Amino acid sequence: MSPPPPSVATAGPPERPHAPHRSPVDGSPGTWERAATAALGGTLLARGLRRRSFGGAAAALGGGWLLYRAITGRGRSARTFVPAPTWSSSGSDRTGSGPSDGATTVERAVTVRGDADELAGVWRDPERLALVAGHVLEVTAGDGDGDGVAEDGNVEGGADQSDEGRLRWTVRGPLGRVLSWETRVVEERPGELLRWESVAGAAVPSEGEVRFDPAPGDRGTEVTLRVRFDPPGGRLGDAAMGRFGVVPDALVGGALRRFRSLVETGEVPTLEGNPSARGRGDLL
Amino acid sequence: MRALCWHGVNDLRVNDVPEPELVNPRDVVLRVRLTTACGSDLHFIDGYLPTMREGDVIGHEFMGEVAAVGRKVDDVEEGDRVVVPSFVGCGNCGYCRGDLWSLCDNTNPNPELQEPVLGDATAGIYGYTHAFGGYAGSHAEYVRVPHADVNCFHVPDELSDEQALFASDAWPTGYMGADFCDIRPGDTVAVWGCGGVGLMAQGSAALMGAERVVGIDRFPERLRMAREEAGSETIDYTEVDSVVDTLKRMTGGRGPDACIDAVGMEAHGTGLAHAYDRAKQTLRLHTDRGEALRQAIVACRKGGTLSILGVYGLMDKFPLGIVMNKGLTVRTAQQHGQAYVPRLLEHVAEGEMDPSYLATHELPLEDAVRGYDLFKHKEDGCVRPVFAP
Repeated sequence: MSPPPPSVATAGPPERPHAPHRSPVDGSPGTWERAATAALGGTLLARGLRRRSFGGAAAALGGGWLLYRAITGRGRSARTFVPAPTWSSSGSDRTGSGPSDGATTVERAVTVRGDADELAGVWRDPERLALVAGHVLEVTAGDGDGDGVAEDGNVEGGADQSDEGRLRWTVRGPLGRVLSWETRVVEERPGELLRWESVAGAAVPSEGEVRFDPAPGDRGTEVTLRVRFDPPGGRLGDAAMGRFGVVPDALVGGALRRFRSLVETGEVPTLEGNPSARGRGDLL
Repeated sequence: MRALCWHGVNDLRVNDVPEPELVNPRDVVLRVRLTTACGSDLHFIDGYLPTMREGDVIGHEFMGEVAAVGRKVDDVEEGDRVVVPSFVGCGNCGYCRGDLWSLCDNTNPNPELQEPVLGDATAGIYGYTHAFGGYAGSHAEYVRVPHADVNCFHVPDELSDEQALFASDAWPTGYMGADFCDIRPGDTVAVWGCGGVGLMAQGSAALMGAERVVGIDRFPERLRMAREEAGSETIDYTEVDSVVDTLKRMTGGRGPDACIDAVGMEAHGTGLAHAYDRAKQTLRLHTDRGEALRQAIVACRKGGTLSILGVYGLMDKFPLGIVMNKGLTVRTAQQHGQAYVPRLLEHVAEGEMDPSYLATHELPLEDAVRGYDLFKHKEDGCVRPVFAP
C-alpha cells in the first residue's frame, strides 16, 4: 500500500537513519479490523448525536466507545499500527492512499528575531517547549517507555530527560481520555536542524523536524517546522484526533507563533484569567 | 467588579465579572480612571464584525492608575497614572521596533482567527472582537495590560485625566492619519467625519502646518466643534449638491492635497450611492458602506494622498481604477499609538492642543448602556461619552 521509504528524503537532510521498528503494513487484519470498528463507532456516534433521544444518546455513547477503542488501539486487536515514513514534499497534505494511512504532514515557517543557536535550545527544553505546545498538547520530559499510558488511563510520570532528548506528549480528550506518546531526538545539527521521532510502539506515531535558516538582511532566522502524524485508524483516526483538539495545521502554526512570542518577548500571549460575564479563565 | 459586557447585537449590559490578575511577567493591572466609547465599537455592537462572544467586556480607550505590577516590569510602579494605547505592542518584534505597533507579531492570542482572512494577524486590542485578540476591555473597574513597560505612558502631573484619556486612541489615530499626509506648506487637507478621530485628525493636520483643513459631516454640533475647536472650515454634506464639487471649488479646481477618511464601514451619505450601500449591507452582500471613501478618492487632487483611518471589513467594489489613474498614494493602518503618545502628551503640556473637548458626556460606569445609546444615535450633541468606573 504505502511505498517503502525513499532512500533520500530531500536534498537537505541526509539519508534517514533506518528505523528498525518500522515496516510497512499492508492491510494487516488488525489494522483493518480497527478501521472497521472505528467506522462503525463513528457512524453510531454521528447517528446517535443527531437523534435527541435516549436511544440516540445510547448509540452515541456506544459509538464513541468503539471509536475510542479503535483509535487508542486498546481493543482486542490492539496491534501497533506502523506506517511507512514518507515525507511529503509540499507544505501540507496527506500521503498514501489506503484506508489505513491517514498520515498528515504539515509544514509551516515563521521568521524570528534571534540567531539559530539561541532558538534551537527551546526545542530541547521541556519546560519552554510546554509553553510552545500550547493547551492542546502537554509536554514533559520522557521516561523511555513507549506507550506510557497505564491501564487506568493515567499518564505515567516522566522524570529525567535522557541524552536522546526524550519528550512525552500528552493529549487529554473529553471524559478523561488520554492519548500519550514519546519521542526522541534522532538527528541534531547545531544551529541548523533538529529532528525527532516517536519511539517504538507509540500511541500516535509521529515525526518532526525544525530547521533554522538565516533570514535576509537583519530579519533574524527563518524557522521551519515540519510534523508528520500517523494517527491510528487512518483518516478516521485523524478525524477522531480532531475531537481531541489535535488539528495538525493549527497545532504547527500555533506552536510556531507561540515559539516566536516566547523567544522575542519571554512570554506567550494568553487570555488566561480573562474577565468576562462568562466567568474566568476563558480560552478560545 | 463591574464591567460593560456585550451580550449580542445591540445588547450591552453592566455585569459583575471576575477581576483581572497578573498572568504574564510583563503585565500590570490598571485601575481604570476614565474610559470612553469609540466609533469602531459600534461595528460589533451593530453586528457587522464577527467573533464577539456573549459576555465579552468591551472598551479600548482608557487611562488609569497602576494597581499591580508583574515581576518583569521595570519602568512602571504601583500608583503611576498612565495612559495606554488601544493596540497591545510587545516592543521587541520587528514591527514594534519599526514603530508599526498595531502590526505587532506577539500580542494577539487568537491569530488563527485572522490569518484565513487577512493572510496574517494584527496585534491584539482590548475589548474588541476575538479575531483581534479577545482581551477583556477597559469599561470595567480594572483591566490587565500586557507588556506594561512599552504600553503604559506616564501622564505628567499638570495634565488632567480628560486631557490624557484621548491620547489612548482617538488622538494617536487622528495624528497618525495626518502624519500619513506628509503635510507641506500650502496643503489643504479634507477630513471625512467630525467624530472623535476626525476632529483629532483635523487638529493634528493644523498642528503639522496645513494651510487649510476642511471637516465634512452632517451634525451641526460636530461641525461647530470642527470650526471652533479644530479651526477647520466645514461642509455639511446634506446642505450641498456634491461634496466633491464643493471641495474643488474651495481649492481652485485642484482638490485637496490629502484626504482623510475618518468614517469607515458605516458611512452615511445622500442619494443613490448611499441607498445602494445601505441595501447591500442590509442584505449582507457586503460588509461596508463606503460612501465617504468613494468621495475622498474622487475629490483628492491628482498625485495626492488618501489616508484611511475608518475601520473596514471586506469591502468589494473599491474604485481602484480611480486611485490608479490619479496616481494617489494610499496610506492606512490601525493606530500605531505607541509611536505618538509621548509627543501628544507634550503637545498638551505645551498648550498646543487639548483634546478634552471631545468628552461631551461624563457618566458613571453604571450608566454606560445609556452612554452608548447617546453616542450611537448622536443624541444631545454627544461626541464621546466618558465613563468613570
